[in-house]
Amino acid sequence: METTINSLNKMYSLRNLTIKSFHDGLVSKKFSALEITQAFFKHIKESDKRIGAYLSLNEDGALKAAERVDIAVAQDEELPILAGVPLAIKDNILIKSLPATAGSKSLENYIASYSAGVIQKLKSEKAIFLGKTNLDEFAMGSSTENSGFHITHNPHDPLRVPGGSSGGSAAAVAAHMAVAALGSDTGGSIRQPAGFCGVVGLKTTYGAVSRNGLIALASSLDQIGPITKTVEDAAMLFKAIAGHDPYDATCTETNYGEELWNPKLEQVRSLTIGLPDEYFPKGLDEEVQKAIGKVILDLESLKINFKKISLPHTNFALPCYYIILPAEVSANLARFDGIRYSRIEDKKLNTKTLRDIYMRHRGEGFGTETKRRIILGTFVLSSGYYDAYYQKAQQVRSLIKNDFEKAFNEVDVILTPVSPTSAFKIGERVSDPYSMYLSDIFTIPANLVGLPAVSIPIKETLPLSSGGGRLPIGFQLIGRHFREADILAIGQFYEKIKASSS
Amino acid sequence: MPSPINKKILKYLADLARLELSPREEERLLKDLQGILGHFEELQRLDTTEVAPMTGGTSLKNVFREDEERKNKYAGAGVEAFPEKEGGFLKTPPVFGNDDQ
Repeated sequence: METTINSLNKMYSLRNLTIKSFHDGLVSKKFSALEITQAFFKHIKESDKRIGAYLSLNEDGALKAAERVDIAVAQDEELPILAGVPLAIKDNILIKSLPATAGSKSLENYIASYSAGVIQKLKSEKAIFLGKTNLDEFAMGSSTENSGFHITHNPHDPLRVPGGSSGGSAAAVAAHMAVAALGSDTGGSIRQPAGFCGVVGLKTTYGAVSRNGLIALASSLDQIGPITKTVEDAAMLFKAIAGHDPYDATCTETNYGEELWNPKLEQVRSLTIGLPDEYFPKGLDEEVQKAIGKVILDLESLKINFKKISLPHTNFALPCYYIILPAEVSANLARFDGIRYSRIEDKKLNTKTLRDIYMRHRGEGFGTETKRRIILGTFVLSSGYYDAYYQKAQQVRSLIKNDFEKAFNEVDVILTPVSPTSAFKIGERVSDPYSMYLSDIFTIPANLVGLPAVSIPIKETLPLSSGGGRLPIGFQLIGRHFREADILAIGQFYEKIKASSS
Repeated sequence: MPSPINKKILKYLADLARLELSPREEERLLKDLQGILGHFEELQRLDTTEVAPMTGGTSLKNVFREDEERKNKYAGAGVEAFPEKEGGFLKTPPVFGNDDQ
């Protein structure tokens, strides 16, 4: 790759930018928001041809917003921590007047009529939106290969997937094409791509963050959350998007405070971490096993207590999820009828009735995985099968919840791998849907139970800047409901000891 | 055990879900769904008598807001996204056509 010294310097500075360091640099006038935003667009235009993280860019809007931030800086206004921070937004989250395709051909021409609750909160913080990122269609998938538009490559190895479904957001942050990003997580769609790309991903507590303006996949599971370079950044971005929204009835008032990003060591030492047997099965990838072992040693050096626990129904979480999720999908995606949003171009026939439009728009506009899940969901909800599948899965969901309730009587946080393997090769799992589903086996339970969980890159597995063929591996911390502070605190101290040891 | 899903049921489900499928798609989906449903059999091993189903993402109780007049800030939003419209209204073909069921 040919790079001038000038753009190398820019790259270097983009590489080191976190929300925190951006804010410090901005308020101390080391750089302007406009300068950094322009540098990001330059870098995106050079690099995204190889990665494919973005579906659309918001260059005009972003540059104007950056100018407004610079005026505020010049007038010495007090700026929120996210002011001017260039963010990437998953393309199933609406930003008014910008495309929102959810990775589906069926929404190729749809322009959002309003901004999502999280976007309104970020706008009031003066954050900047660089563009919309790629995803598996309607967030269904674990590799971003199900996007209706193009695939996304893992920045650490272009032959491998970035994970999914928030693969575009994770790849954008990992390839320094955004300071941070938003994703959505229904069964691991923030944490698994974060793990594959070597960045931090936080799935928030069910009810902590508004889903108003998130194109719904499965309403009892979906949550929006941050994808960032550091745990501290995840805490700050989470704080900015959390809280009640009258347009999402499931979103509750929260009182998250400074403990999110300014944790105390004594408090972290008072926590007990549980290691569930079921998440370390025989045959777990050796590299993953070894890497997690290192994390445990590191955390023990902080004098945190560990305890072995059991979550006996873990193996039932995957079939349980793949009944409940398609059921909700079949209902939620009914709204995409070719009547109210956009309609795909009809090349074949002159449609006469509403029914013709529905059949054709959905048949042509949806990809294979989307159709597979809609039909599966229609099946498990249909008369004669409801009790055997849907009702049964809801009961099993209760058993899984009970497992976690019991575990949280003994421990405060649970540590597990994020995924059974590191990033797999593009094309490797496309032909066998169930093997693709298995990549979410460790992330799904937190969604079924509504718990917060964070994926943090394991330092020893991060690729060196000179390459070397290593692939990132993440570890997962699961916390009690609304106790993001616990998992983020442990994560921040993990990062501190790793920073001091390197 | 025979799979609970066959070609006839698949066609019926696709029709209920308003999905037009090509013959090739039908074949592939049938094979995939039979495989996936096979994995669901595991759940039948669990005794769930007397277990209350978990019906949502949270155990939090509903809170009612005051029933007061509110201005809808999104009123009229979305009309511009309608593929066919007339005077601010959504335009559709007849709901009941000759070839509709």
